[in-house]
Parts: sequence; C-alpha cells; structure tokens
Amino acid sequence: MNLKECYISFGGDYDEVLGRLRREQTVQKFVYKFLDDKSFFQFEASMKSRGYEEALRAVHTLKGICQNLSFSRLYESSSLVTNALKENDYDKAIEMMPQLSEDYHQIIHSVEEYKNSKEE
Amino acid sequence: MKIRKKRDPAMQFLIFSFIGVLLFSIVVFSVLGIYMSQKSKNAITEIGEIYMSGMNQQISGHFDTVIGLRFDQVKGIISVVPTDNTDREQLYEELIYRAKVRGFDYLALCSEEGVFETLYGASIQPGNPAPFVEALAQGEQRVAVGVDSTGKEVVLFGIDASYPMRDGSKCTGLVAAVPLEYITDFLALQDENQLMYYHIIRPDGSFVIQNRNMELAGFFEQLQEQLQSESGNSLQGTLIEEFGSALKNHKKYSGTLEVDGEKRHICGISLPYSEWYLVAVMPYSVLDDTINRLSNQRMILTLLSCASILVILTLVFSRYFSITRSQMLELEEARQKAVESSKAKSEFLANMSHDIRTPMNAIVGMTAIATAHIDDQKQVQNCLRKITLSSKHLLGLINDVLDMSKIESGKLTLTTEQISLKEVVEGVVNIMQPQVKAKRQTFDIHVENILTENIWCDSVRLNQVLLNLLSNATKYTPEGGSIQLSLSEEKSPKGENYIRTHIKVKDNGIGMSPDFLKRIYESYSRADGVRVSKTQGTGLGMAITKYIVDAMEGSIDIKSEIDKGTEVSLTFDFEKAVVLEMDMVLPSWSMLVVDDDELLCRTAINTLKTIGINADWVLSGEKAIELVTQHHKKGDDYQIILLDWKLPGMNGIQVAKEIRRNLGDEMPILLISAYDYSEFEEEAREAGINGFISKPLFKSTLYHALRQYMDTQTENDQTLNSNIDLSGRRILLAEDNELNWEVASELLSDLGVELDWAEDGQICLDKFQKSSAGHYDAILMDIRMPHMTGYEATKAIRGINHPDALSIPIIAMSADAFSDDIQHCLECGMNAHIAKPIDVIELTRLLKRYLI
Repeated sequence: MNLKECYISFGGDYDEVLGRLRREQTVQKFVYKFLDDKSFFQFEASMKSRGYEEALRAVHTLKGICQNLSFSRLYESSSLVTNALKENDYDKAIEMMPQLSEDYHQIIHSVEEYKNSKEE
Repeated sequence: MKIRKKRDPAMQFLIFSFIGVLLFSIVVFSVLGIYMSQKSKNAITEIGEIYMSGMNQQISGHFDTVIGLRFDQVKGIISVVPTDNTDREQLYEELIYRAKVRGFDYLALCSEEGVFETLYGASIQPGNPAPFVEALAQGEQRVAVGVDSTGKEVVLFGIDASYPMRDGSKCTGLVAAVPLEYITDFLALQDENQLMYYHIIRPDGSFVIQNRNMELAGFFEQLQEQLQSESGNSLQGTLIEEFGSALKNHKKYSGTLEVDGEKRHICGISLPYSEWYLVAVMPYSVLDDTINRLSNQRMILTLLSCASILVILTLVFSRYFSITRSQMLELEEARQKAVESSKAKSEFLANMSHDIRTPMNAIVGMTAIATAHIDDQKQVQNCLRKITLSSKHLLGLINDVLDMSKIESGKLTLTTEQISLKEVVEGVVNIMQPQVKAKRQTFDIHVENILTENIWCDSVRLNQVLLNLLSNATKYTPEGGSIQLSLSEEKSPKGENYIRTHIKVKDNGIGMSPDFLKRIYESYSRADGVRVSKTQGTGLGMAITKYIVDAMEGSIDIKSEIDKGTEVSLTFDFEKAVVLEMDMVLPSWSMLVVDDDELLCRTAINTLKTIGINADWVLSGEKAIELVTQHHKKGDDYQIILLDWKLPGMNGIQVAKEIRRNLGDEMPILLISAYDYSEFEEEAREAGINGFISKPLFKSTLYHALRQYMDTQTENDQTLNSNIDLSGRRILLAEDNELNWEVASELLSDLGVELDWAEDGQICLDKFQKSSAGHYDAILMDIRMPHMTGYEATKAIRGINHPDALSIPIIAMSADAFSDDIQHCLECGMNAHIAKPIDVIELTRLLKRYLI
C-alpha cells in the first residue's frame, strides 16, 4: 500500500496535497502527525460536556487540518458540523457526529495500516 | 360657448322663480299684515264701543241712584210735614229744619205761575223754568239745573206738593237744591285722569253740565243749530242728524267723530228724572296708540319673519344652485374626457393602422420578391431577414396593444418568480446592443455595489420596462448621443428581507417638454409629431411601463429637458430571494482595470474587492501600458488585466497589442464591453485578448469570467516561483493547532523565511509587543484560536503602542473563506486574507506584495 492508495481508501485528494506540499516525504510526515492530533478528541469531549463553544473551535481546527492535508471526506463532515455549531443547531451537530467519527476513524485506521505496511 | 347656451335657460328659470317667490312672499305678508291690523282695529273699536256703552249705562244708573236718593229725601220731607198745618211759619220752620237735616242747601216753594218763594238759603231759579214748572204742575218729579242769587250753579229737585205759600195760595211743588258739584262729584264727571269724559246736554243741545274739555264745542254748536233748524242739512252729514234724532227720541247712540284730524268715539244715553242726555267722549288717540303700537309690532314681526324666510330661501337656493353648477361642470368635464379619450383612441387607430400596415406591406412585398427570386439564395435570405425584422416589429406593436387592453380591463397580473437581476440586465443589454450600434451611440452601464442579484420579481415585465425605457432612450437620442444605464442598491425600508434597487436610464437626447411630461403616462400619447415623425411606436410604452412599475409597487420618476436629455429613475423594493448564494471568492490576485469611466472603475474595484481581488484602475490605455510595464520591471506583474474596448485615444485592442508586444503572452487580458463583441472578436483575439466580459459588471459576472483563469494562473505562477527569495524575513505565525503550524512552517521554510510560532492570539500579541521595531516583517493570523481570536488579536495589535503597530502586514489565514469572513478580516485591520489549505504559491505572492 502506497500513500496514494491510502488517501484513496479514506477519501482524500492525494494529487492535490502533493501539489501543495511538493514532496511525498512531507505529506507522509504530516499524515503521521495527524495520528497524534488531539482536535477530534477535544471535540468529542466538549460535545459530551455540552461545551459547544469549545467544540466548535476544535472541529474548526480539524477542518483546517483536513484542508491542509486534503482529507476531502473528513473535511466535508467536519465542515457540516462546524456550520451546524455556528448556527447553534446543536441537535443537528449531534446527529452528524457518527458520520464525523466514522470518517475520522477511517483515516486513522488507513494511516495506521499504511504505517504498518511501511515498517514491515 | 355651448355650455353657456345650455346653462342660460336653467339660470333664467332659477332667477325668475327666485324673484317670483320673493315678490309673492312680500305681497302675501303685506296683505296678511294689513288685513290683520284692520281686523284688530275693528276689534278694538268694538271693544271700545262695548266698554263705552257699558260705562254710560253705569253712569246713567249711578245718576239714577243719586238723583232718586235726593228725590226720596224730598219726598220724606213732604211725608213728615203735613200740608194742612195752619200755622204757616211753624210749617216753614218745620220744612227748613227737615231740609237742613237732609243736607239740602236751598229750599223753595214753587207756585203754578213759576214764582219761587225761597224758604231757606239764597234765592234760586231754574235755568229753564218753563218745562220744570210744567212738569211739577203735572205731578212729576223733575230735576233741573239753576242758579242762586249769587250766581252759583245748583241742582234743583222738584216734587209735587201743595204747601201754602206766603200769599196764601197753594204751591204746586217743593223745590230743594244742592250745589252742582254734588252731581259732578258723585258722577265723577270732571275727573281729568279718566280715559273718557262726559257732557250732559239738554234735548236742544245746550249743556247742562259741560266738561272742561271743550274740543267738541263746535260739534255741539252745530248740533244746536241742527236741532233748531230741523232742516237736516248739516256739515257733518248724517252723523249729527243721527245723533240729533237719538237725542230727541231719548235713545242710545254710538258713533265716531273726527275733530281736528283726530277721531273720537261718542256715546250717548238719556238720563232718567230729566230730559238730559249723557254724552261720553273717548279720544281715539288712546285706542289708536295701542292699536298702532300693536300693529307696528305685528308689522315688524311680519317683516322679520318674511325676511328670515327669504334669507333661508336664498341660502337654500344658492346652495342648490352651486351644487347644480358643480354637477354640471363635472358632467362637462367627464364629457370632455370621454371625447378626448375617444379622440385619442381614434387617432391611435389611425396611427396604428398606418404603423401596422408598414411592416405588413414589407412582409407581403418581401414575400413576393422572395417568391420571384426563389432560386437566388442570397436574395431570398435577404428577403427573409427583412421579413423577420418586420414581423418582429409587428409583433411588438401587437403585444403593446394587447398589453394595454389587458391593463385597461385590469387583467394584467404579475408572475413573481425568483430571478437574477444580472440575467435580466444582461438580456436587456444584449437586445439593446444592435439598436445602440445602429445609431452609433455610446452605451454606459454602471453596476454599483449590487450585492443582491437574486430577487423575487416578474422578469418578463421587468424586462419589458427596461427595454421600453432603453429603446425610448435610443429612439429619442440622435446618432452619436450617449445612453447610460445605472443600477445601485440600498437597504429597503420594507425590512430585512427586501432590497431597494435603483435603476436609472439616462440619455442626452431630444428630451421632452414639461407639458408632454404631464401626459406621458396617458395612453396613446407620443412625443410631438414634428420632431419625431420618423419614430415609430404605439405610444403605449410609457403607460404600460407606469402600470407595471405601479403593479410592482415601485416608483418611476422622469426628469427631462428639451434638447438636453431625459433621466428616468426607477425604484423598486424587491424581496430578496433566499438562494444559498454561491460563495464567490477568488484568490487574491492583483488586477488592473482600464476604463475611461471613472465611476465604472471604482464600482468594479469595489466589486472585485468583495470577491477577494485587489485591483488598480486607470482611465486610459496609455497609462495602463505605462503601469503594466512599471509593475513588470518590479517583478510584480498584474495577474489579469481588464480592458475596456472603447477608450479615448488607443482603444482596448490596441492597448492589448502593445502589452503583448512588451510583455509577451503570459498574463490574461480580458476585454470588457457593453457592445456586442462578435464584430471585433476576431481582431481582438489576434491582438492577444484572451476573453470577453459583457457589461454590466455584476459580482457574479466578474466571478464567473475570472474563475476560469484560476488554474492557468496557478500554473503560470509555479514556474515563476523559483526565483522568489524571501530569506531572512521574519514572520510571526499565530496558529493554535500544532499540525497546522507544522504544515505552514514546512511550506514557508522552503522560501527561506524565519518563522515564529504563537500558539494563540494572546501569545501572538505579547510576542509582537515585546519585539523590537522591525523585528517581524509580517504576521500570519489564524482566526479561530482559544483565549483570543485572530480578529481580537489584530484589533489589539493595531491599537498598541509599537512602532510597527499600524504598518505591519497582517494576513488572515482561515478555513472560513466566505466573502463575509473576508470582509470581517478587512474591517478588523488585516491587510489580506488567505484561505486554508495554505497554498504556498498564493502565500508567497501575497507575502511578496507586502514585503518587497
């Protein structure tokens, strides 16, 4: 499994990200870094404790990362949640959380798989 | 004149009947007044007569009682004193005593011969002894007036009695007397305060008792003469005669007598115990005064009531008259209107039949020609083209007429739909281009800050209005004139959901006279025939326009001056359409706009700013070339150039050629034009024009036209990128997410930039504040950060006391790339906005702009 296949598996735009970051090395570095990013967990925790302000910031950051790394699918779902929170439509945001979570874990799963295949 | 003739008989009738009523009421009231006063006079006279005869009766009764009483006393004397007393002296003493006791002042015996022997008091003698003595001799009781020896008037009461007289003979009667005052006092005959006064006369007319009021002396003298002569010819006519006969026959009499021009009422009655006659006189003046006062009052009241009735009558009449007159005027006005409208309609029909016939003839004629030359393809094509034109014209005419009849029957309704103002205006401009071109007129279109393009409106009708106004403008503007269409918007007073849109059509054509301006919305009117005899149309355009604008609840205002031009302003409050408007954001290119119209430049620059583009503008092609070259030398080329086709001096195509010659083919050059560009398209392409943008320059027009250059632009830049050197520059990057920070740092490190990380807005502010002057060259600012957002941080930085506080470039870097967000960034004091994902080329270009 190469990095492009990994991107395809979780719905990202590899060509685009490569166009911007130039080197596969760089892309890989950042994708690995994404595994350690806390934004998603901050978001989940804030939603649970109804800290919607904080949740918005976290999901917004997640959205920014997605843009930087061209995680198109996760960008979509995080964008929707961001908009819902901006409009104070919390029910809608909660409704969309499973999708966001799925997209997020798909990335994590794919990247880990890719990482493992590299290390082997 | 007709009106006057018509109105006159009615007026005459009204005036005559009014005068008639006036006269009639005056006559009726006067007759009534006179009749009433006559009646009351008669009534008063009757009352006076009744009153007087009653009074006379009463006085006569009174007289009867008084005289009767005295007679009884004298009888009493006779009854107590016997006549057969032989002692004469003793008898006389007895009589005197009795007489004194009974209050008589005189006592005498009367002999048959009429000799009076006074027994007591002064000697007395009746004024007219003969009838007195005669009556005594016949044994009657008689009263008479006489005088005593001192000349005092007395009243004598004589009763038959046979006392012996001094000479021994028997007397015929005893006569006792009292002073005359006795009667007058008793009868109150001399009271001056009385309404009436009295005389007592004898049958011969001489006075027994005469009142001090002697105004009737003449009358009584005449009466005496009449009675003496017995002839019956008299001055007072029958009155004295009647009175005389009544007097003789001792009858009652009542009548009126005029003395010294004043009427008097006379009433006579005979008195008992004597031949006397009581005459009561009442001056009429007393009655007359009362009656006159009464009748005067009645007259005044009558006149007053007459006057008041007349006044009311006049008021009613004049009111009725004015109502009638205004009704007649209205009627006349309505008639005039109807006549005018029917005249306008027949005129219109005459015009229309001509107007319809012209294209119809063309169609028929051209069809014939085409048939004749059916093999000549060119000729047929030409004919068909002309037929198409004529049919279109004909269709236009018929549509107008149909619209007008719909409007007149109230059937024109609006079909409100969601439309794009841009599409409507573009469509209108497209349709107008051939007409404008045919007359070689300049056509400027200004779209000022129209942010709301999607609205609820009837696009067909709006189209119709705009087309009508614009075609009027071209129609009435001579060749080479200029026509301007401007659009702008402002907040609507109708509320948040509405937008007020102003549309202005301006020309410098022949204009209209103020008189015509007044009738401009009338159906079937057309600007004066002499100046525009060639112009064709139904004359319904403005009436339809006005109606549609009214139906859309808009307003239309026309300013016009002969030979100066016309300006039509439309104002509508359109409901905003709730479409999720596409977020129109383009990379922050630098652009150059070239147009000789400064207003257009400014509005275009503003519109470009809202989609994230920074642009410069110049007014002429020469300046544009200069500026482009200048920027090229600095290594900061414009990325896109917008060129107006029509420019003073060099036109757009020439400018493009020049730029291409100097700088090569890299940067896109777009031609903006309000005209149909198909004609010069080839020439323009050859000159190196990449594309065309049609005016009006709406936001979406610009966005869609420019978007296609986004990709080529990026590619172009990538090749340019390598020679950019930003080494040694120090940039402060505020970003709360480590990953994002690393991405940015990774990207920027390639450029040789030294990056400093601030984890949030607060840290960024602190770091900047602590830095020495010129330490940082720029700040990249994320927006959503904990503790302090990018907006707040920027505001704070711009506000602190630091030499670079105002000058340091701050570039927003955010995942939010809506135009609202960009606007907000600029408002907070940031210089530019770059959307995530961070595009290194884009970022480099921006940095280059601010750092070099």
